[in-house]
Amino acid sequence: MQIVELNGISKAYGAKVAVDKLSLSIPSGAMYGLLGPNGAGKTSSIRMMIGMTMPDSGTVELFGKPFERKALERVGYLPEERGLYKKMNVGEQLVFFGRLHGLSAAEALRRSKEWAEKLQIAEALPKKTDELSKGMQQKIQFISTLLHEPELIIMDEPFSGLDPVNTTLLEDTLLEQKRAGKAILFSTHRMDQVEKLCDSICLIDGGKAVLQGSMREIKSRYPRNRVMLEYEGSAKFAENPLVAELKDYGGHAELKLKAGADSQELLRSLMQQVKVNKFEVVEPSLEEIFIETVGGKSHE
Amino acid sequence: MSNTLLIMKREYRERVRTKAFVFMTLLVPGVMALSFGAAYLTAAHAGQDQHIAIASNDAQLALAVRNQLTDSKTAPIHADVIAPADESQQNALIRRVNDKQLDGYLWLGASAGQATEVQYDTYSAPDMFVSSRIQDAVDNAQVRMNLEDKGFHKADVDRLMKQVTVKTAQVKDGKVVTSDAGKSFWVGYLMMFLLYFSVTYFSMNVARSVIQEKTSRIFEVMLATVKPSEMMAGKMLGVGAAGLTQILIWGVLAVGVSLGTRLAHGEAGQIHLGVSALQMGAFCVYFLLGFALYSSIAAAAGACFNAESEVQQMSIAIVLPMLVAMLSFGYIESSPNAAYSVFLSIFPLTSPLAMFLRMLAQTPPLWQIAVSVAVLLLTIYGTLWVAARIYRVGILMYGKRPTLPELLRWLRYA
Repeated sequence: MQIVELNGISKAYGAKVAVDKLSLSIPSGAMYGLLGPNGAGKTSSIRMMIGMTMPDSGTVELFGKPFERKALERVGYLPEERGLYKKMNVGEQLVFFGRLHGLSAAEALRRSKEWAEKLQIAEALPKKTDELSKGMQQKIQFISTLLHEPELIIMDEPFSGLDPVNTTLLEDTLLEQKRAGKAILFSTHRMDQVEKLCDSICLIDGGKAVLQGSMREIKSRYPRNRVMLEYEGSAKFAENPLVAELKDYGGHAELKLKAGADSQELLRSLMQQVKVNKFEVVEPSLEEIFIETVGGKSHE
Repeated sequence: MSNTLLIMKREYRERVRTKAFVFMTLLVPGVMALSFGAAYLTAAHAGQDQHIAIASNDAQLALAVRNQLTDSKTAPIHADVIAPADESQQNALIRRVNDKQLDGYLWLGASAGQATEVQYDTYSAPDMFVSSRIQDAVDNAQVRMNLEDKGFHKADVDRLMKQVTVKTAQVKDGKVVTSDAGKSFWVGYLMMFLLYFSVTYFSMNVARSVIQEKTSRIFEVMLATVKPSEMMAGKMLGVGAAGLTQILIWGVLAVGVSLGTRLAHGEAGQIHLGVSALQMGAFCVYFLLGFALYSSIAAAAGACFNAESEVQQMSIAIVLPMLVAMLSFGYIESSPNAAYSVFLSIFPLTSPLAMFLRMLAQTPPLWQIAVSVAVLLLTIYGTLWVAARIYRVGILMYGKRPTLPELLRWLRYA
């Protein structure tokens, strides 16, 4: 079943078109990446998806039915800007959000304790939010999103402000949710995380979907024209007629071949100049695809 | 439990648990009692223990004025008499005042057949209450002297000049009910101020709460579950309930203090606050109506702004009509049925305070109360309608403040 189905939704604020005929669908058990430069329309799209704003045209379906507010009890949303009551006790806050999602007070409390144990912040429950570090607040927000066991989880920049240990902890939690059959929409600028976690992506720019599909299929659309090189010695890669782009870190370099250039010919030419320890032809990274598609332009 | 109730409960608990709430609940009546007490004492004891000199060419007049000033049970003024007095003595008096040997000197320039020229010079800033006492003393002394000159005996003059005591009463439901004018005035003043304070303070609390949730982006989380109208309603109900709690605590404190005073005076079993149960009920009703009106305006204003400081700047403008009603206190109390008083008690932005003030003075015609409440309810309904529309768009808008055309466009958004 498709958990989310957006059919040509558009939204304009005055003269500015925020979202322009966007369509996408997210099946259950999928981790879906929503990407785009700043101001591309990601947040506007998410807001329409959960009924915070209404599309000017197009339709939103959740769980196979036209949007209805009742469906929001099955949705967990973690916005980009964190929102917690600063002066409120963390435990009470989690119970409050749980109850808004239809849980009983006792059940919300039980689950809060369970999650706090799991994310190693049990000691934070009796404290006030503003007594906690940014990373801990982030975990609390994460718990409040998942407390009512939503079938659709929407996360806008979920790992910002977290150290690598906590990032891994939350990544593992999300993967667990995915394995449990939850649909996860993941909006971020961190291409490495999208590449690692997501099955499908939608890249939007200027409110329009400019690249959409499964990660594998999208990557296969691009030629394998990147070379990861480890070498000893000194060489003038930039002068090589087969090289289009170059990032030389000294001992390690990333090269992009010119259109039609043969990677084996490049290898032979490099071996005459330096000692090659590693020569790997790879597909473009998502970051490169992103930059190539949106042309590196900023919308803000 | 519905979302609105959950939000209301959260708002209520957050408010009544704060130190600010406890502080305000105890501090506001305390500060007001102190300031009213201070005002009363200042008026009753004006000039007490002051040392002045009375200088005049007319020794008889100077002595008569001194008698008037020193003959006070509550606040006798010590006065030296210098008579006859000339300009050199006036210079000496100025020096004595300057050296703080005297608090002031009174110069009575009496000349035959003409009005007395009275000059009162002091070291500290002129005191309205003391000036008033001196004026009364000179007036009385002159009348006394004139009467005695005309051949009246001192005993007759004393009898004529004796101050009368005015007993006050109110006619209520065809019966004469004893009513202390002074007490009624102060109780009315206190209740009017508490009503003004409660409506404006708690309404602005709603605006602040909206801004805080907007700046901390809690709206983003909340709106993924609840409707903006539920959020606004829950917030207003929660803050309003906190306000009502505060008023009830004040009521209980007032009854407690009154009972305590009565018991101390051996009058057990009687509680007399100078306010009827009807007036107490009206206080609560007008608080709720006033709060509903002003907090919905405040909620919409809060949703339009981006920082608490912006709301603070606007808050005076928002509560200005209430301020006008408060400043009309004296007029409404003395002329409760004048056209201006009736207008203020029906105009919805001033009626919560003005109608209550009229009810303190006397029970207004029932139809006027009914019209006032009906107009107020209709206005609250309209304001809530507009505020809810501005609120649901405004809370998701960050950055610049909306212009009027933008606000009108928000009203039309689906």
